[in-house]
Amino acid sequence: MKFPRFTRKTLCIPYAVFLVFFVIIPMLVIFFYAFTDKNMNISLSNFILFFSDPTKISTIVYSLVIALITTVCCLLIAYPVAYILARSKMKKKFVILMLFVLPMWINFVLRVNAIRELFNLIASLDGMEWLASANYFKTVFGMVYDFLPFMILPLYTTMLKIDNSLYEASADLGAGGTTTFLRVTLPLSMPGIMSGITMVFLPSMTNYVVSDMLGNAKVTIIGKFIYDYFGSDWHMGSMVALVLLIVVFVSTWLSGGFQSEENVRGANL
Amino acid sequence: MKCKRIFALIAAAALAVPSLALLSGCTGNREIVLRVYNWEEYIDEGGKGTFLYDELHELDDEGKPVLDANGGHVHIESDIVDDAYKAWYEREMGKELSPEGPAILDDFCLWYERTYGQKIRVEYSTFGTNEDMYNEIVLGNEYDLLCPSDYMIMKLAAEGRLERYDESFFDPSVHENYYVRNVSPFIADKFANNAGLTIRKDWDGKDILWKDFAAGYMWGTTGFVYNPSPTDAQGNPIDVDVEAMLKELGWSAFTNGQFRNKITAKDNVRDTYFAALGVKYQEELLALKDRFDGGTLSQSEYTKEITRIFNATDDDTISAVEPTLMDIKKNIYSFETDTGKSDMVQGKIWLNYAWSGDAVYALDLAESGMTEDGEEEKAVQLNYYVPEAGTNLWFDGWVMPKGANKQAAQAFVNFLSMPQNAMRNSYYIGYTSVIAGEEREMLDYADYLYGYAPEEDETETVDYDLGYFFGEGASILADAEQAACRQLYAQFPTPDVIAHCAVMDYYDEEASVRINELWSRVKAESLDAWAIVVIVVTVIAVLAAVLVARFGGKLDFFCRKPKKGYKLVKQEDPNRIQ
Repeated sequence: MKFPRFTRKTLCIPYAVFLVFFVIIPMLVIFFYAFTDKNMNISLSNFILFFSDPTKISTIVYSLVIALITTVCCLLIAYPVAYILARSKMKKKFVILMLFVLPMWINFVLRVNAIRELFNLIASLDGMEWLASANYFKTVFGMVYDFLPFMILPLYTTMLKIDNSLYEASADLGAGGTTTFLRVTLPLSMPGIMSGITMVFLPSMTNYVVSDMLGNAKVTIIGKFIYDYFGSDWHMGSMVALVLLIVVFVSTWLSGGFQSEENVRGANL
Repeated sequence: MKCKRIFALIAAAALAVPSLALLSGCTGNREIVLRVYNWEEYIDEGGKGTFLYDELHELDDEGKPVLDANGGHVHIESDIVDDAYKAWYEREMGKELSPEGPAILDDFCLWYERTYGQKIRVEYSTFGTNEDMYNEIVLGNEYDLLCPSDYMIMKLAAEGRLERYDESFFDPSVHENYYVRNVSPFIADKFANNAGLTIRKDWDGKDILWKDFAAGYMWGTTGFVYNPSPTDAQGNPIDVDVEAMLKELGWSAFTNGQFRNKITAKDNVRDTYFAALGVKYQEELLALKDRFDGGTLSQSEYTKEITRIFNATDDDTISAVEPTLMDIKKNIYSFETDTGKSDMVQGKIWLNYAWSGDAVYALDLAESGMTEDGEEEKAVQLNYYVPEAGTNLWFDGWVMPKGANKQAAQAFVNFLSMPQNAMRNSYYIGYTSVIAGEEREMLDYADYLYGYAPEEDETETVDYDLGYFFGEGASILADAEQAACRQLYAQFPTPDVIAHCAVMDYYDEEASVRINELWSRVKAESLDAWAIVVIVVTVIAVLAAVLVARFGGKLDFFCRKPKKGYKLVKQEDPNRIQ
């Protein structure tokens, strides 16, 4: 029997099937639900209700702010780490990098639970009682902890690629440390920053496991909001999901996610 | 090549074997399938910690079986799983009672085959909330038996999604009809008049009564689990009298500053809205209670009134309750569904709004001095309290969705209604069974759990009246503390508590929309209009800045197209070093 020859087209079939059934059709279903009412008639009422309800706008804004703070914190922590790691001549820097990446190998619900217990412990100390009800602080902390590796990795891989001779040239031309950083390192690590931002910003808008477990269910981000709606009103839930989809689309587009140039989106070790 | 294929086949077969094994719960040809959809952890699942296991093994202080010299378990003479129980088991299941704690679903398969001569297999799945279950049903998932709560039974029945129980199901002369013979008269009465709710009509103008559509399973109240002597993190006692404060405040404990960050509410709209109504209308409720206790208001009038208050969903009530809900959110430590128990045991909170069965579990766990994972911890005494102004009385019952296999489903309900099985389920999940037992077997069970022999020791005892549930004259001699505020009081409420309870109705379509919107407003943090405007403007400004930075003046779509025959050539950067 002749073994069938795989062409590129046939190799695509599994993924195409997956794409159709688990991405395209669900999206169409969401779209359909968002623009129908309870009796399945086409209606714009969800759309109008969404944009006239301060609660829903507030929730989106809150999620955006939480995601923004998380992303900024991650960037501020990850950038120096990645810079030092990429530039140092340490023999064991791989070990340090692993220390940052290792938590990613442990289930994240487990990690968040561990943080929860840690916070409980700290909150039981004298003078730390405020921590028990600092729900927003704990949520952001949990998210930063959770998403930090996603920021470090792309930064590290981009910076690793920067040719050392560029720094030498910069020094030759009389640039000091700050100028070199601003005119060489920063612009050249921009793809890594952008990639890191997309990988942190988007999930932190919707990851309500963190906000539920660390925020005592008193912090409602957009992901939780959608989940709640799907318990009662699928149509409004779909509308919120659709709006979120658009927000995500716009932010990905702005951060250059759709460019085909080769950069470090892979972000793998 | 061939070798590989054979290997692949073997591998696939190996993978398929476990899934075949899964399918063979009670195997055989021509078997029928019963699809049961129940709450999580809401049935005896067998093994350690079950009634039969614990009753048949001698357990040490840590709840581990005592071993004899040969490493075998030491079995004990149980008061309740006695020879008669064992004989019953052998008769019904056709095998000897194994001390390993058989699962009740397996026993059902055995019993069904012996009784009806046909093999049966149970496909058992679980849900987390009534609403999840409802969604599954609406989406067209098919089951034979569901276990919704009171208001959801009403909703499903009113929407015409349920089968009626056969009339023969209620014939006490049929030997297999265990439910009708064993159910408590109290429950039968509540199910016959929808526990005092407004009775709706179906399409044909017939009354929709619970008893036609549902057979009871478990029931209880909601109330507060409280820590009478809370300690700080170092274990030093805190000088507060939680009990006195709670008794004085009742429902207002939710919004009272003394309990700030020391109380939890449920993370679902039904229970928390109910609680908020209690806070908001407590004075009105107490005034009604006074009139009832004073004898100027009949029980039915009183029940009607409090039921109306606790089920109000009109616009005025919703807008009146919204600020109360906001106050509750501000005051509580968390909205929770299952972390309340451990937070209580760890001493993080003093009050936990809970269902009675969960309360029993929390009380047991706290005084055992162990965590859920079996680690040792400081033993804490917790108590249970039901607000004087009245609380929620709830029922979970078995219903059959349209198209169910009614014969098998009713057989299943009857099987669970044998007192010997009701004990097993009740013991395992901590809730109170609706079963009383023809011979008041469940009273023996309650007595076995909580009763005292008068001469036993010097514990103060009281005669705990359970006449409303088991029939006239039923009572047990119990520890006074148990009767006042502990497991017994939670599991079998006093007649006084029962008299002051209201049942939840379901929200109709419109009310449901309003209340869900209310809930989303409560759960979400709302911003002032100006803050939204500021933030939206900032976001747009940032967007614009990013756009300009990215495309800085070379936005392609602003450029004119080159004339025909010409090509657009990008200008080279003059400074670029070649």
